[in-house]
Amino acid sequence: MSERVTHEELMRYLDGEVGPEERRRIEASMEESTEMRRDLVVFRTMKDDLQGLNLATGQGNGSVWDAVNRQLTRPVGWVLVVIGSLLWAAYGIYAYLTSPHFFLEKVATGAVAIGILLLLASVIWDRYREWLVDPYRDLQR
Amino acid sequence: MGPEVERELIRKCKTGDSRFYEPLVRAYEQPGLRLALGMLGNLEDAKDALQAAFVRAFQALGRFDLRRPFGPWFFQILRNQCRDMLRSRKARFQLEALDERLELRPASREDGPERYQEKGQARRLLWEALERIGEEHREIIILKELQGLRYGEIAAVLEIPEGTVASRLYHARRALKEALEDMGAEYP
Repeated sequence: MSERVTHEELMRYLDGEVGPEERRRIEASMEESTEMRRDLVVFRTMKDDLQGLNLATGQGNGSVWDAVNRQLTRPVGWVLVVIGSLLWAAYGIYAYLTSPHFFLEKVATGAVAIGILLLLASVIWDRYREWLVDPYRDLQR
Repeated sequence: MGPEVERELIRKCKTGDSRFYEPLVRAYEQPGLRLALGMLGNLEDAKDALQAAFVRAFQALGRFDLRRPFGPWFFQILRNQCRDMLRSRKARFQLEALDERLELRPASREDGPERYQEKGQARRLLWEALERIGEEHREIIILKELQGLRYGEIAAVLEIPEGTVASRLYHARRALKEALEDMGAEYP
Protein backbone atom coordinates (compact mmCIF):
# COMPACT_ATOMS: atom_id res chain seq x y z
CA MET A 1 0.00 0.00 0.00
CA SER A 2 1.34 3.49 -0.94
CA GLU A 3 2.16 6.20 1.55
CA ARG A 4 -0.61 8.73 2.17
CA VAL A 5 -0.25 12.02 0.30
CA THR A 6 -0.13 15.05 2.60
CA HIS A 7 -2.04 18.25 1.87
CA GLU A 8 1.27 20.04 1.20
CA GLU A 9 2.29 17.39 -1.32
CA LEU A 10 -1.08 17.68 -3.01
CA MET A 11 -0.54 21.44 -3.36
CA ARG A 12 2.96 21.02 -4.77
CA TYR A 13 1.66 18.41 -7.21
CA LEU A 14 -1.20 20.68 -8.31
CA ASP A 15 1.16 23.61 -8.79
CA GLY A 16 3.81 21.64 -10.66
CA GLU A 17 6.39 22.02 -7.90
CA VAL A 18 7.37 18.32 -7.71
CA GLY A 19 10.06 16.35 -9.49
CA PRO A 20 9.25 13.39 -11.78
CA GLU A 21 9.86 10.78 -9.09
CA GLU A 22 7.71 12.50 -6.47
CA ARG A 23 5.04 13.04 -9.08
CA ARG A 24 4.89 9.30 -9.83
CA ARG A 25 4.71 8.47 -6.12
CA ILE A 26 1.88 10.96 -5.54
CA GLU A 27 -0.06 9.70 -8.55
CA ALA A 28 0.28 6.11 -7.33
CA SER A 29 -0.95 7.11 -3.85
CA MET A 30 -3.88 9.02 -5.25
CA GLU A 31 -5.05 5.96 -7.13
CA GLU A 32 -6.02 4.61 -3.74
CA SER A 33 -7.67 7.72 -2.30
CA THR A 34 -10.99 8.90 -3.68
CA GLU A 35 -10.98 11.81 -1.24
CA MET A 36 -7.63 13.09 -2.52
CA ARG A 37 -8.72 12.71 -6.13
CA ARG A 38 -11.89 14.66 -5.42
CA ASP A 39 -9.91 17.40 -3.66
CA LEU A 40 -7.56 17.56 -6.60
CA VAL A 41 -10.43 18.02 -9.06
CA VAL A 42 -11.96 20.80 -6.93
CA PHE A 43 -8.65 22.63 -6.49
CA ARG A 44 -7.69 22.25 -10.14
CA THR A 45 -11.02 23.69 -11.33
CA MET A 46 -10.70 26.54 -8.87
CA LYS A 47 -7.15 27.16 -10.06
CA ASP A 48 -8.24 27.26 -13.73
CA ASP A 49 -11.06 29.68 -12.97
CA LEU A 50 -8.85 31.91 -10.83
CA GLN A 51 -6.31 32.08 -13.62
CA GLY A 52 -9.19 33.10 -15.88
CA LEU A 53 -9.74 36.22 -13.76
CA ASN A 54 -7.82 38.41 -16.12
CA LEU A 55 -7.97 41.51 -13.97
CA ALA A 56 -7.22 45.03 -15.08
CA THR A 57 -5.04 44.25 -18.02
CA GLY A 58 -4.12 46.70 -20.70
CA GLN A 59 -6.96 48.66 -22.21
CA GLY A 60 -8.47 51.52 -20.30
CA ASN A 61 -5.81 51.50 -17.62
CA GLY A 62 -3.14 54.06 -18.44
CA SER A 63 0.39 53.76 -17.14
CA VAL A 64 1.15 55.04 -13.65
CA TRP A 65 4.57 56.22 -14.81
CA ASP A 66 3.58 59.89 -15.22
CA ALA A 67 2.17 60.04 -11.69
CA VAL A 68 5.20 58.21 -10.26
CA ASN A 69 7.60 60.47 -12.11
CA ARG A 70 5.78 63.56 -10.82
CA GLN A 71 6.07 62.29 -7.27
CA LEU A 72 9.76 61.54 -7.71
CA THR A 73 10.70 64.87 -9.24
CA ARG A 74 8.29 67.22 -7.43
CA PRO A 75 10.05 67.16 -4.03
CA VAL A 76 13.26 68.38 -5.71
CA GLY A 77 11.34 71.31 -7.18
CA TRP A 78 9.75 72.16 -3.83
CA VAL A 79 13.11 72.02 -2.01
CA LEU A 80 14.62 74.43 -4.54
CA VAL A 81 11.63 76.81 -4.37
CA VAL A 82 11.67 76.84 -0.54
CA ILE A 83 15.46 77.35 -0.30
CA GLY A 84 15.36 80.12 -2.93
CA SER A 85 12.42 81.87 -1.24
CA LEU A 86 14.07 81.72 2.19
CA LEU A 87 17.29 83.16 0.80
CA TRP A 88 15.43 86.00 -0.93
CA ALA A 89 13.37 86.72 2.22
CA ALA A 90 16.48 86.77 4.42
CA TYR A 91 18.30 89.06 1.99
CA GLY A 92 15.23 91.35 1.74
CA ILE A 93 14.93 91.65 5.53
CA TYR A 94 18.65 92.29 5.87
CA ALA A 95 18.60 94.92 3.09
CA TYR A 96 15.54 96.63 4.60
CA LEU A 97 16.90 96.68 8.15
CA THR A 98 20.25 98.10 7.07
CA SER A 99 18.65 100.67 4.75
CA PRO A 100 18.65 104.39 5.71
CA HIS A 101 14.81 104.46 6.17
CA PHE A 102 13.24 106.21 9.11
CA PHE A 103 12.87 103.94 12.23
CA LEU A 104 9.09 104.41 12.59
CA GLU A 105 8.63 103.43 8.92
CA LYS A 106 10.47 100.15 9.59
CA VAL A 107 8.40 99.40 12.71
CA ALA A 108 5.10 100.04 10.85
CA THR A 109 6.08 97.87 7.86
CA GLY A 110 7.35 95.15 10.19
CA ALA A 111 4.05 95.17 12.15
CA VAL A 112 1.99 94.83 8.94
CA ALA A 113 4.19 91.96 7.71
CA ILE A 114 4.10 90.11 11.04
CA GLY A 115 0.32 90.67 11.32
CA ILE A 116 -0.30 89.17 7.86
CA LEU A 117 1.89 86.18 8.73
CA LEU A 118 0.05 85.61 12.03
CA LEU A 119 -3.36 85.79 10.32
CA LEU A 120 -2.22 83.36 7.64
CA ALA A 121 -0.83 80.94 10.26
CA SER A 122 -4.08 81.03 12.28
CA VAL A 123 -6.22 80.35 9.17
CA ILE A 124 -3.98 77.40 8.22
CA TRP A 125 -4.15 76.08 11.80
CA ASP A 126 -7.97 76.30 11.84
CA ARG A 127 -8.25 74.49 8.52
CA TYR A 128 -5.89 71.80 9.74
CA ARG A 129 -7.96 71.25 12.90
CA GLU A 130 -11.18 71.04 10.85
CA TRP A 131 -9.53 68.57 8.49
CA LEU A 132 -8.51 66.33 11.41
CA VAL A 133 -12.13 65.81 12.48
CA ASP A 134 -13.67 65.85 9.00
CA PRO A 135 -15.53 62.53 8.58
CA TYR A 136 -15.54 62.93 4.79
CA ARG A 137 -11.85 63.67 4.34
CA ASP A 138 -11.16 60.31 2.60
CA LEU A 139 -13.92 60.78 0.09
CA GLN A 140 -12.72 61.65 -3.38
CA ARG A 141 -14.34 64.76 -4.72
CA MET B 1 13.18 42.43 -19.79
CA GLY B 2 16.30 40.33 -19.14
CA PRO B 3 17.89 40.22 -15.67
CA GLU B 4 21.06 41.91 -16.95
CA VAL B 5 19.16 44.86 -18.41
CA GLU B 6 17.10 45.09 -15.23
CA ARG B 7 20.25 45.12 -13.08
CA GLU B 8 21.82 47.83 -15.24
CA LEU B 9 18.70 50.01 -14.99
CA ILE B 10 18.62 49.61 -11.21
CA ARG B 11 22.32 50.46 -10.99
CA LYS B 12 21.62 53.72 -12.84
CA CYS B 13 18.51 54.45 -10.73
CA LYS B 14 20.62 54.01 -7.60
CA THR B 15 22.47 57.17 -8.59
CA GLY B 16 19.14 59.01 -8.24
CA ASP B 17 18.38 59.33 -11.96
CA SER B 18 14.67 58.57 -12.23
CA ARG B 19 14.71 58.48 -16.07
CA PHE B 20 15.99 54.90 -15.92
CA TYR B 21 13.12 53.91 -13.65
CA GLU B 22 10.49 54.21 -16.39
CA PRO B 23 11.17 50.83 -18.08
CA LEU B 24 11.01 49.11 -14.70
CA VAL B 25 7.70 50.78 -13.85
CA ARG B 26 6.26 49.83 -17.23
CA ALA B 27 7.47 46.23 -16.90
CA TYR B 28 6.03 45.68 -13.44
CA GLU B 29 2.89 47.81 -13.43
CA GLN B 30 0.52 45.20 -14.88
CA PRO B 31 1.52 42.32 -12.55
CA GLY B 32 1.65 44.87 -9.74
CA LEU B 33 -1.84 46.11 -10.53
CA ARG B 34 -3.16 42.55 -10.51
CA LEU B 35 -1.67 41.99 -7.06
CA ALA B 36 -2.96 45.28 -5.66
CA LEU B 37 -6.38 44.80 -7.20
CA GLY B 38 -6.61 41.31 -5.78
CA MET B 39 -5.66 42.59 -2.33
CA LEU B 40 -7.72 45.78 -2.29
CA GLY B 41 -10.63 44.82 -4.49
CA ASN B 42 -11.09 48.04 -6.45
CA LEU B 43 -9.15 49.75 -9.18
CA GLU B 44 -8.81 53.23 -7.67
CA ASP B 45 -7.20 52.01 -4.45
CA ALA B 46 -5.10 49.51 -6.39
CA LYS B 47 -3.67 52.28 -8.58
CA ASP B 48 -2.95 54.46 -5.54
CA ALA B 49 -1.15 51.59 -3.84
CA LEU B 50 0.80 50.76 -6.98
CA GLN B 51 1.90 54.34 -7.44
CA ALA B 52 2.95 54.70 -3.80
CA ALA B 53 4.81 51.39 -3.93
CA PHE B 54 6.82 52.46 -7.00
CA VAL B 55 7.78 55.69 -5.22
CA ARG B 56 8.72 53.79 -2.05
CA ALA B 57 10.73 51.26 -4.07
CA PHE B 58 12.67 54.00 -5.85
CA GLN B 59 13.47 55.66 -2.53
CA ALA B 60 14.62 52.31 -1.12
CA LEU B 61 16.74 51.32 -4.14
CA GLY B 62 19.89 52.37 -2.27
CA ARG B 63 19.39 49.37 0.00
CA PHE B 64 18.48 46.99 -2.85
CA ASP B 65 20.82 44.03 -3.29
CA LEU B 66 21.65 43.82 -7.01
CA ARG B 67 22.10 40.05 -6.82
CA ARG B 68 18.38 39.67 -6.10
CA PRO B 69 15.63 39.90 -8.74
CA PHE B 70 13.64 43.13 -8.66
CA GLY B 71 10.16 41.53 -9.03
CA PRO B 72 9.72 39.73 -5.70
CA TRP B 73 11.36 42.64 -3.86
CA PHE B 74 8.96 45.11 -5.45
CA PHE B 75 5.94 42.87 -4.82
CA GLN B 76 6.97 42.71 -1.17
CA ILE B 77 6.88 46.53 -0.99
CA LEU B 78 3.57 46.61 -2.83
CA ARG B 79 2.06 43.99 -0.58
CA ASN B 80 3.11 45.99 2.50
CA GLN B 81 1.65 49.13 0.93
CA CYS B 82 -1.67 47.35 0.34
CA ARG B 83 -1.69 46.05 3.90
CA ASP B 84 -1.00 49.54 5.24
CA MET B 85 -3.87 50.90 3.17
CA LEU B 86 -6.20 48.18 4.40
CA ARG B 87 -5.28 48.97 7.99
CA SER B 88 -5.69 52.70 7.58
CA ARG B 89 -9.04 54.33 6.90
CA LYS B 90 -8.09 54.90 3.30
CA ALA B 91 -9.31 51.62 1.92
CA ARG B 92 -10.94 48.40 2.76
CA PHE B 93 -11.53 45.47 0.52
CA GLN B 94 -14.34 46.81 -1.59
CA LEU B 95 -15.58 44.53 -4.22
CA GLU B 96 -15.80 46.22 -7.55
CA ALA B 97 -18.52 45.07 -9.86
CA LEU B 98 -17.17 42.89 -12.57
CA ASP B 99 -18.66 44.95 -15.31
CA GLU B 100 -17.03 47.72 -17.30
CA ARG B 101 -14.03 48.15 -15.03
CA LEU B 102 -12.66 44.63 -14.79
CA GLU B 103 -12.15 42.29 -17.63
CA LEU B 104 -12.85 38.63 -17.49
CA ARG B 105 -11.06 36.46 -19.95
CA PRO B 106 -13.90 34.42 -21.38
CA ALA B 107 -13.84 30.67 -21.62
CA SER B 108 -13.14 29.39 -25.08
CA ARG B 109 -16.06 29.97 -27.42
CA GLU B 110 -15.44 26.45 -28.67
CA ASP B 111 -16.80 25.18 -25.34
CA GLY B 112 -20.28 26.19 -26.44
CA PRO B 113 -22.53 28.96 -25.10
CA GLU B 114 -23.63 27.09 -21.95
CA ARG B 115 -20.12 26.25 -20.80
CA TYR B 116 -19.08 29.80 -21.73
CA GLN B 117 -21.77 31.25 -19.48
CA GLU B 118 -21.04 28.73 -16.72
CA LYS B 119 -17.37 29.70 -16.69
CA GLY B 120 -18.22 33.37 -16.50
CA GLN B 121 -20.58 32.73 -13.59
CA ALA B 122 -17.98 30.61 -11.76
CA ARG B 123 -15.44 33.42 -12.02
CA ARG B 124 -17.87 35.98 -10.70
CA LEU B 125 -18.53 33.75 -7.71
CA LEU B 126 -14.81 33.28 -7.18
CA TRP B 127 -14.24 37.02 -7.18
CA GLU B 128 -16.97 37.46 -4.57
CA ALA B 129 -15.63 34.57 -2.51
CA LEU B 130 -12.18 36.20 -2.49
CA GLU B 131 -13.73 39.08 -0.58
CA ARG B 132 -14.98 36.73 2.10
CA ILE B 133 -11.72 34.99 2.96
CA GLY B 134 -9.10 36.56 5.20
CA GLU B 135 -6.39 38.88 3.94
CA GLU B 136 -3.65 36.30 4.49
CA HIS B 137 -5.50 33.66 2.48
CA ARG B 138 -6.33 36.14 -0.26
CA GLU B 139 -2.80 37.39 -0.79
CA ILE B 140 -1.23 33.94 -1.21
CA ILE B 141 -3.93 32.89 -3.68
CA ILE B 142 -3.38 36.05 -5.69
CA LEU B 143 0.39 35.61 -5.73
CA LYS B 144 0.01 32.03 -6.94
CA GLU B 145 -2.92 32.15 -9.33
CA LEU B 146 -3.10 35.71 -10.58
CA GLN B 147 0.61 36.48 -10.50
CA GLY B 148 1.73 32.95 -11.39
CA LEU B 149 4.70 33.07 -8.99
CA ARG B 150 6.69 29.96 -8.08
CA TYR B 151 6.81 28.82 -4.44
CA GLY B 152 10.30 30.29 -3.97
CA GLU B 153 9.14 33.69 -5.21
CA ILE B 154 6.01 33.62 -3.03
CA ALA B 155 8.19 32.81 -0.01
CA ALA B 156 10.38 35.82 -0.82
CA VAL B 157 7.40 38.17 -1.19
CA LEU B 158 5.66 36.99 1.98
CA GLU B 159 8.91 36.62 3.92
CA ILE B 160 8.10 33.06 4.97
CA PRO B 161 10.10 29.82 4.59
CA GLU B 162 9.54 28.10 1.24
CA GLY B 163 8.31 24.99 3.04
CA THR B 164 5.39 26.93 4.52
CA VAL B 165 4.01 28.06 1.14
CA ALA B 166 2.31 24.74 0.29
CA SER B 167 0.64 24.53 3.67
CA ARG B 168 -0.61 28.13 3.54
CA LEU B 169 -1.87 27.59 0.01
CA TYR B 170 -3.79 24.52 1.13
CA HIS B 171 -5.54 26.42 3.93
CA ALA B 172 -6.26 29.38 1.64
CA ARG B 173 -7.77 27.17 -1.07
CA ARG B 174 -9.78 25.30 1.53
CA ALA B 175 -11.09 28.62 2.90
CA LEU B 176 -12.00 29.74 -0.61
CA LYS B 177 -13.84 26.50 -1.26
CA GLU B 178 -15.78 26.90 2.01
CA ALA B 179 -16.63 30.50 1.15
CA LEU B 180 -17.99 29.31 -2.18
CA GLU B 181 -20.05 26.64 -0.48
CA ASP B 182 -21.43 29.22 1.98
CA MET B 183 -22.52 31.25 -1.01
CA GLY B 184 -24.45 28.25 -2.22
CA ALA B 185 -22.11 27.52 -5.09
CA GLU B 186 -21.50 23.96 -6.11
CA TYR B 187 -17.89 23.70 -6.95
CA PRO B 188 -16.77 22.55 -9.45
